[in-house]
Amino acid sequence: MMETEPTEDIDQPLRDRLKAHPGPALLWGAILCVLLLLEGPTYLDGLLGAIGAGLGLLPGAPGAEAFASASAYFGELPHLLSRELIPNRGYYDGSAWQGTFLGLEPKYAWLIRFLLVYAYVAVLLGWLWYGYVLFRRHYRAADWTPTDDVIDRLRSHYWGLFGLAVVVFFVTMAAFAPVIGPTTAEENIEGPYSYDMQYYNEDTETVETVTIGEANLGSASRGSGDSNVGVWSYDDFGRFHPVGTLVSGKDLFTFLAFGARLSLFIGLGSMAIAGFIATTLALVTAYYKGAADLIVVLTSDSVQAMPALLLVILATVVFQNHWISELYNGAMLFILLFALIRWPGLWRAIRGPALQVGEQEWVDAAKSYGQRPTVIMRKHMAPYILGYLLVYASLTLGGVIISVSALSFIGLGINAPTPEWGRAINIGQQYVASQSWHISLIPGLLITLVVTGFNALSDGIRDAIDPQSEGAEGGAAGAAAGGGGG
Amino acid sequence: MSRATYMLKRLVLSIPVIIFGTTVTFAIIRLGPLSPAAAILGPKGDARAIQQIEQRLGLNEPLWEQYFDFMGNLFLFDLGQSWVINSGTPAVDLIISYAPRTIWLGFWAVLIALGIGIPLGFYAGLNPNTFSDYFASFGGIVWRAMPNFWLAVILVTVLSQSEQLFGFSWTSFIVETNVVTSPNLAVLRNPARLITDPGQAWTNLAKATKQILPPALVLGSASMGTEMRIGRTAVLETINSKYVETAKAKGVSPRVLVWKHIFRNALIPLVPVITAEAFILIGGSVLVETVFSINGIGLLFVKAAKQGDLPLVGTLMYLFILLIVGLNIVQDFAYTIIDPRVGYDA
Repeated sequence: MMETEPTEDIDQPLRDRLKAHPGPALLWGAILCVLLLLEGPTYLDGLLGAIGAGLGLLPGAPGAEAFASASAYFGELPHLLSRELIPNRGYYDGSAWQGTFLGLEPKYAWLIRFLLVYAYVAVLLGWLWYGYVLFRRHYRAADWTPTDDVIDRLRSHYWGLFGLAVVVFFVTMAAFAPVIGPTTAEENIEGPYSYDMQYYNEDTETVETVTIGEANLGSASRGSGDSNVGVWSYDDFGRFHPVGTLVSGKDLFTFLAFGARLSLFIGLGSMAIAGFIATTLALVTAYYKGAADLIVVLTSDSVQAMPALLLVILATVVFQNHWISELYNGAMLFILLFALIRWPGLWRAIRGPALQVGEQEWVDAAKSYGQRPTVIMRKHMAPYILGYLLVYASLTLGGVIISVSALSFIGLGINAPTPEWGRAINIGQQYVASQSWHISLIPGLLITLVVTGFNALSDGIRDAIDPQSEGAEGGAAGAAAGGGGG
Repeated sequence: MSRATYMLKRLVLSIPVIIFGTTVTFAIIRLGPLSPAAAILGPKGDARAIQQIEQRLGLNEPLWEQYFDFMGNLFLFDLGQSWVINSGTPAVDLIISYAPRTIWLGFWAVLIALGIGIPLGFYAGLNPNTFSDYFASFGGIVWRAMPNFWLAVILVTVLSQSEQLFGFSWTSFIVETNVVTSPNLAVLRNPARLITDPGQAWTNLAKATKQILPPALVLGSASMGTEMRIGRTAVLETINSKYVETAKAKGVSPRVLVWKHIFRNALIPLVPVITAEAFILIGGSVLVETVFSINGIGLLFVKAAKQGDLPLVGTLMYLFILLIVGLNIVQDFAYTIIDPRVGYDA
């Protein structure tokens, strides 16, 4: 852009360019800090908790306790998106709601918190995008890069944007699961009899205390008669259920939010590992070709010749009492299994682009300069194939989500009470045609939506990085993605 | 390289693939944390019984010997026996009694997917960017994203309660059938009855077909979506190619143009999809058979795995691997016939 001084040296590092013209960057950074600080305790809580859990796996668990207590400390701090700030649970004492946000009905209190979470995420993402625009306008040395075209194509690809929106919706639901539900997993799903709640008994006109477990018995959705708490309704205890309750009377929305967390964790984890394996192998085979290529072709053929879902079923059964099944309720086992089963698909998909880039003149040039092969692969080849990797990883991720829910549907893998979408579908199976239809239908629709979203995002990225490619390639990948699915 | 050498090379290359898959299965079963003997007896098995079973399965022998026994037996098709599901029955007998229903299901799943997916895709491709194209394309995308087991659950409910829901009774439509049940395929074992005892036999056949249609529709759903999508792009690509333009210019009638010049060429990219369907069927049959409680191989596998019948599971895995490898070879062979341009050097 012409705003940058024409005399500016192209080779100036970014730091110098920032120093020369700090205004916009400082303002942007300051507002980003405010945005992050609003939710700072949550991020620190999550980060430290994750580190603590990671250390806890090591022998002797060095420092795990310190991290856990630090995480708990930050968890207590006030922040914007919290149940303490906008509580949605209370009781109606005959004249007004007690304990809810501003004395509103629980319905509206929950809705405000729900919308606030999404508004916060929207503002945060919008601000990050604005940061990129600022960088482009003020600090980037080049007026134009090929990435600009890719981004422009993605911006006008409505199908891809729809996918992006769905993915953001899903990721937000997973990331903010403890806040977004009308109740928490500990209280409502894991240990309902360890927590109390108050409600207003209309017969005696007094406020009474019951354990949440007892209250759940009264809010069960069992299809027939009175016992149903459907979509967007209250139960007898003044608790609001945005998408109804399960057969056990637990809140379905909370269940779905934590289930989203688990699905996303498994999907992202397995794709990260599989993507890493696939990229490394694609680079090595494209660079060295010959024997390396043949070995990987044979290995990937062999892995693909094994029936994926059946292999996972077998492994889940064999490892069911092993310590690895204890890690995050079996999610860790799934991550490893899906990574090991799905890398050949990813590798096949990026092999073509990798071979292509291996033939480029700049790779030859780098070779003749005497650059080390690892550097050539990392710096001159990898950036070209990462886009393709993203396309197929996004497709495959949808397949992994379906597979995980399929396994919990037949009662393998993620065990109760840990929420998993497939189990909700299984629980609600016999109530589909009754008034408790929500138990099975809503999780299924959600899976369909999320998988469609990931597929759409993948289409969008593919058309953006390679506008000519719309054709058989995408279809083959589609077949692969559906392949292991359920 | 001639076609024969190419196919020979394909066959030779498939041997390490089979060995790899079988070895992985062996490793999971024998080296995994769950011992087959403990799995067979369950948590209550006492030490003596475990020892006895270990003896009979040969688990006391050195690992490499077990490995060669395992591989050798499988390659010689000595498939062992079931221990839990149907104790003492040879695995072969079990498979023979369970397989026909799965094959029947798979046959209809492929047929439905082909019969609906390809025509819809071609229709969308011949009428691009119209409302019906968008409708079909969007439908295909969503259809593909739906989890099979969920679709099955919905379909079971809708069909078994269709009387209350729509006032149309699926269960008594044409012939009286249940929704959640195994089809009775006795008539297919003895097709002569179709002539000797037409009344009964044809009714049975109709029943078996009607029962299998809903699960087959579910099982074929994913590939139907894929076939539609690829069929559409394939037609679009062929329509815009030079030879179609040439044919148009020299005055070929639209009918001949579509059937002779477009249709045949657009079929080529569909071949891998059709064979890829086989993989989907193998994985998907497990779930669909569970929901519709069809006593097929998929259900047998899940039952065997859940109840710890690991020897049977190993045998089934081996057969599935053989099936997939076989289908891959068939696909490559089909390619060389349909499209002679396909390179033999892959």
